[in-house]
Amino acid sequence: MTFPINVESAIPKHRHQLLKWNGWGYQDSKFVFKDNEVYFSGKRYPIGELKLPHFVGWVTNVLGIDALKEQTHQPPPTNLDYPPPNISDEIIKTLELLNLSHSLNVMDRVVRAHGHTLNDMFILKFGKFERIPDIVIWPECHDHVVEIVKLAEEYNLVIIPFGGGTAVSGAVECPIDERRPIISLDTSQMNRILWLNEENLVACCECGIIGQDLERTLNDLGYTTGHEPDSYEFSSLGGWVATRASGMKKNLYGNIEDLTVHIKMVTPKGVLEKGCQVPRLSCGPDFNHIIMGSEGSLGVITEVVIKIRPLPKCRKYGSIVFPDFEYGVKCMREVARQRCQPASIRLMDNDQFKFGVILKPESSYFGIMLDGIKQFYITKIKGFDSDRMCVMTLLLEGDPEEVKINEKKLYNIGSQFKGVPAGEKNGERGYMLTFVIAYIRDLGLQYNVVAESFETSVPWNKAVTLVRNVKHVVIEECTKAGIVCFVINSRVTQTYDSGCVIYFYLGFNYSNIQNPVEVHHHLEEKARDEIIACGGSVSHHHGVGKLRKKWYPETVSKVGVNLYLCAKKELDPKNIFATNNFVDSVPHSKL
Amino acid sequence: MVGQLLNVNNRQKVLHMARKMDKYEDIIENRRNDLINWNWSTRTLRTQVAVKIYPRPAPESHKLAVLHAPKIRELVDEISSKRNIKKEIIAKEVVEILEEIGYKKSLKVIRYLSYALTKIFLNISSGIFVNYQGISKIKSQMGNRPVIFVPSHRSYADFIIFSYVFFYYDIEIPAIAAGMDFHSMMGMGEMLRNTGAFFMRRTYNDDSLYWSIFKEYVYQLVCKGDLPIEFFIEGTRSRSNKSVTPKYGLINMILKAYFLSEVPDILFVPVSINYDRLLEENLFAFELLGIPKPKETTSAFFKSLSIIKQNYGNIFFHFGDPISTRDILEDKINRTKYSKGPTHIHEINEEEKRVIPILAYEIVRKQQSSTVISYFNLIALILNNHITRDQNTTSLHELCSEVRILRNVLRLWGAPIFERDIEETVLETLMVHKGLVTTDENQTIGLITNKITTGKLNADKLKAHALSENTISYSVPFITLQIYANPVLHYLVDGALVVIILRSVGEMAIDDLFKHFCFLRAIFSYEFVLLESWYKMQFESSLNNLLGQNIIICKNGQYNIYENKYFEEVLISSIQPFILSHYVITEMLLKTAAQVDEKTIFTNAQKLLEEAINEKKMFIHPYCMSLDSFGNCLGSLGKMKVIEKKQINGKNVFNINQQSIAKVKRDLEIYIPSFHVIKSFDIFLHIKSKL
Ligand SMILES: Cc1cc2nc3c(=O)[nH]c(=O)nc-3n(C[C@H](O)[C@H](O)[C@H](O)COP(=O)(O)OP(=O)(O)OC[C@H]3O[C@@H](n4cnc5c(N)ncnc54)[C@H](O)[C@@H]3O)c2cc1C
Repeated sequence: MTFPINVESAIPKHRHQLLKWNGWGYQDSKFVFKDNEVYFSGKRYPIGELKLPHFVGWVTNVLGIDALKEQTHQPPPTNLDYPPPNISDEIIKTLELLNLSHSLNVMDRVVRAHGHTLNDMFILKFGKFERIPDIVIWPECHDHVVEIVKLAEEYNLVIIPFGGGTAVSGAVECPIDERRPIISLDTSQMNRILWLNEENLVACCECGIIGQDLERTLNDLGYTTGHEPDSYEFSSLGGWVATRASGMKKNLYGNIEDLTVHIKMVTPKGVLEKGCQVPRLSCGPDFNHIIMGSEGSLGVITEVVIKIRPLPKCRKYGSIVFPDFEYGVKCMREVARQRCQPASIRLMDNDQFKFGVILKPESSYFGIMLDGIKQFYITKIKGFDSDRMCVMTLLLEGDPEEVKINEKKLYNIGSQFKGVPAGEKNGERGYMLTFVIAYIRDLGLQYNVVAESFETSVPWNKAVTLVRNVKHVVIEECTKAGIVCFVINSRVTQTYDSGCVIYFYLGFNYSNIQNPVEVHHHLEEKARDEIIACGGSVSHHHGVGKLRKKWYPETVSKVGVNLYLCAKKELDPKNIFATNNFVDSVPHSKL
Repeated sequence: MVGQLLNVNNRQKVLHMARKMDKYEDIIENRRNDLINWNWSTRTLRTQVAVKIYPRPAPESHKLAVLHAPKIRELVDEISSKRNIKKEIIAKEVVEILEEIGYKKSLKVIRYLSYALTKIFLNISSGIFVNYQGISKIKSQMGNRPVIFVPSHRSYADFIIFSYVFFYYDIEIPAIAAGMDFHSMMGMGEMLRNTGAFFMRRTYNDDSLYWSIFKEYVYQLVCKGDLPIEFFIEGTRSRSNKSVTPKYGLINMILKAYFLSEVPDILFVPVSINYDRLLEENLFAFELLGIPKPKETTSAFFKSLSIIKQNYGNIFFHFGDPISTRDILEDKINRTKYSKGPTHIHEINEEEKRVIPILAYEIVRKQQSSTVISYFNLIALILNNHITRDQNTTSLHELCSEVRILRNVLRLWGAPIFERDIEETVLETLMVHKGLVTTDENQTIGLITNKITTGKLNADKLKAHALSENTISYSVPFITLQIYANPVLHYLVDGALVVIILRSVGEMAIDDLFKHFCFLRAIFSYEFVLLESWYKMQFESSLNNLLGQNIIICKNGQYNIYENKYFEEVLISSIQPFILSHYVITEMLLKTAAQVDEKTIFTNAQKLLEEAINEKKMFIHPYCMSLDSFGNCLGSLGKMKVIEKKQINGKNVFNINQQSIAKVKRDLEIYIPSFHVIKSFDIFLHIKSKL
């Protein structure tokens, strides 16, 4: 191999040529509702082009969808829809002089004006952003970024780093009241693997590399990072670091903070990085932790040295069914206590279990939650109640021997909590669905359904009550808001020594609701308040952004807020990186 | 400006309430025609639980949970090392205490009891009326969070009948907090335990092991139980047949589960109970005078049952709208502080204790404002009014027409009263109360006096002054009558205060009127339970009510008494005994040393009033000797910081701020002229002359 490796990205520079400009994922991949049947289009995913016989029944029953009430989405934006970019000729000239690729095209600007919150999607389909970037610039290396930041300092421009644009916190959105010109700094063209060191098992990558590109390239070399957030097809390495991302297989490979060995960040004051590339360091507070989770507010992460692992020899799925959620959680807790978590272990509650079923392509005769015989065994012989049972899905990776031992151990623990093994297929399907579930929201928005997910981390002793209380609050608030058809379901999606991560889906039919996005926002706020009251956190991996600012101060303390502000002031005194994340009013410095 | 807030909306709301009131059903109606009833008692039950839990927790599981609770285990360790006793011995003590406390469930007992009760009710009562829509509303909200039923407490019979109502409606009979005195009724205790009662000691000593266990038990029931819970927020049976200020002990224990986010919400269901005739009517009259109740024993209970082979008329239940704790307290407290550390180390703090009264008073307020008024309540009010005017009898005709007037007005003012043929119902209800009120052949109706004999009373046991036998037998009927008038007072008191103010001081603008009102309302905030934050609302709606009946008038922004003399009298006479007792207490406080114990105050007050009554120069309502009212007066004065309550050697002792009490007395005197209206102005002069 020769370095640097110029990775050819699956995603073109003008992303909307392949990706939906107004929805999730690839243009050719979507749920289609036709002739009273639903199928998933395209060949990219295993369920592609297959009919989903259970889908229609479910969405009509549970979400009250009316096939006749299809909403039409607005056409792509034109120059008439947004004010002309506020960029002086002087700046354009300088960019050209520096040979920096850029665009003033309205489509380029709009598709970088947002992440993937419900609000963003609703605006794309039915509304208009209050503020979009004035210009998109594509740096191609670290030095380019240094130039751009210098330029911004000089002309007092705002920079918002843009990786994959998958944030679900409002982090990439332009602050509405920002009057200075805004640059969307798209890192997608900085996607080289600069070098790889097999001795140390690390690779140095540019920040814009997209998860799927990184994995594909490393896989070809026999390696993996093992970092697999559900958005990894579209999210970037820089984005992961900037949001403290967490991958599905963190048990085996670690979260982004465990995976990064060295980080470079360009700030208006210069480059922040460590002078060595060592496995651990005792040298005062670790400034990597100022970079990680900074959500674009302190500078641009340009290069990251990330750990790599040889590809596992064996990968196996599994699943266990429990009579109810509490037994499942107890089992999860025990697995964590014994520290024998496989690469991934998740526990879906009954509603999510049922929800997963609607994505089953084939119709089965014996009931739809489990395969025929299994269904019979579990409900009739074991006496599980199909309205309460829940399923745990497992993903094991490693040497075949290890996997086997681990698997046995897990099923043993499962049986201590009344768990019944439910086969590999159910597990595999669970993980496969992870990537297509994100596509469902677009279908929902076509039929008056809004949906969003939210997550939290919580100590073990509060997990069950948190889930119960949050669901209760959501149900109550839905009723108060006059919502008739809604779903609220959850899963335990990660485990740790001292707690776990809960992931909720919340969606409702808004046919009779005036401001669905506001209402959804209100529901989520009530839910988060309850989460916090129950001992949960503001976020395990989605981050704070603009959506969850309300809970930032009480999470980090007043001193913490000031500490952040001090760092911000020191690194970025002119507030060039005016993302407006975390805290409401980063004081604008006077010019 | 208070005035601007007055609106007609209020009256419409009231009208709406009045129309709704016939939505009650008699739950023993079907039993009357059922020849067997046993089939009904043994029918298949599909009861609604408060929280659906699988598998359903057994009663024993809660005791075990307490035994193993970290808090109790730590306490056991602590006591064991402090007292140098083996842990096992303390643990055994814990188990014994839990056995004493814990509820059980025996469907068999419940079925037998339902059968026996059916027999009894069919014998002694005409109907048990329940607002079934209220029930079904609650039922529909049950299943996903703790539900606490909070009935008003008017009789020992309350909770047995209450359980019967649940049995009827297929709702799981609650775990009911009952006093240990109940348990000591031989046999009864265990029977009630088997229907779900759990027991609480009455002694408020600092047995920390006992109370820790009890608290933990309640906490477990709320967090991990599936039964609804029932407790009496008034803490004790109200002897006066009207609300008692809420007590915070149990509600504290219950709410802890919400504050610690162990449950998402807690629903409190206020329930009001009213009896046509109380089982304990005479007992209560005695107790109000300070003559203690006999110890509860089963034989006494059954004796009291046997005395009453007679008709006790109707019983009315009203299930109010559930109150969501979350709705009321969510933005008043921050629960996040409990997110750190093990849950069991947390106790609720002062901040939370400060907000609990808001909820507790809200429950009582809802109980008050939903109490179904019986026809005898109206009759008692009318007879009382007559008696106050030295008119000892009345004719059936006159009585009925007064009942009609009162019924119409009270309905407008929010009281649920059944639509019945008045004369028929009056005669019926007079039969029920034939021991208290006579109807002779000329249909002249009057109170039966001097029929009560007391026998020798042990003076040591009296709570206050050693009243003479004469006084007692004279007083008891009047007091009993007042007890029956009392449930109506909730609907009248605010209007009565406004009338008293205007009658005494003369016309005034609304802001001044409100100032006077606030003073009087504060004085009576214990007697007629109300939280200060409601003064304004109550004031405004009472003005509306009075204006609507031409009792007062507003001209050029000035309020004054208007032309409805009859109602003015009814209002003033209705609260006269209370004003008198409160006035006398302030007089007593003014005359005593800077520190005085409760018994002395009570004794002196009763002594003075007894003399005044016995002189028989004019009619003085004996209810003014009620220790309950005295206590209420001290309570509200304490709240106003005029006096300060202390416990010395287990006795209630008061420190008196002489200046403040003098002011209160002076302020109270302002309102005395209003009593001209019912010719009893002299009472005060008379009493003053004796001081
Ligand atoms: C369907 C779906 C599933 C998801 N699943 C997961 C999951 O499993 N785990 C998880 O952790 N997250 C998940 N997310 C959230 C999101 O994908 C992550 O936050 C991700 O890390 C964002 O990366 P990005 O490249 O898309 O960043 P962007 O959305 O482009 O940006 C996110 C923030 O980081 C800043 N930023 C981006 N690049 C840089 C850089 N180079 N230097 C400085 N700042 C930068 C931006 O300014 C912005 O504030 C999911 C989102 C969706 C829509």
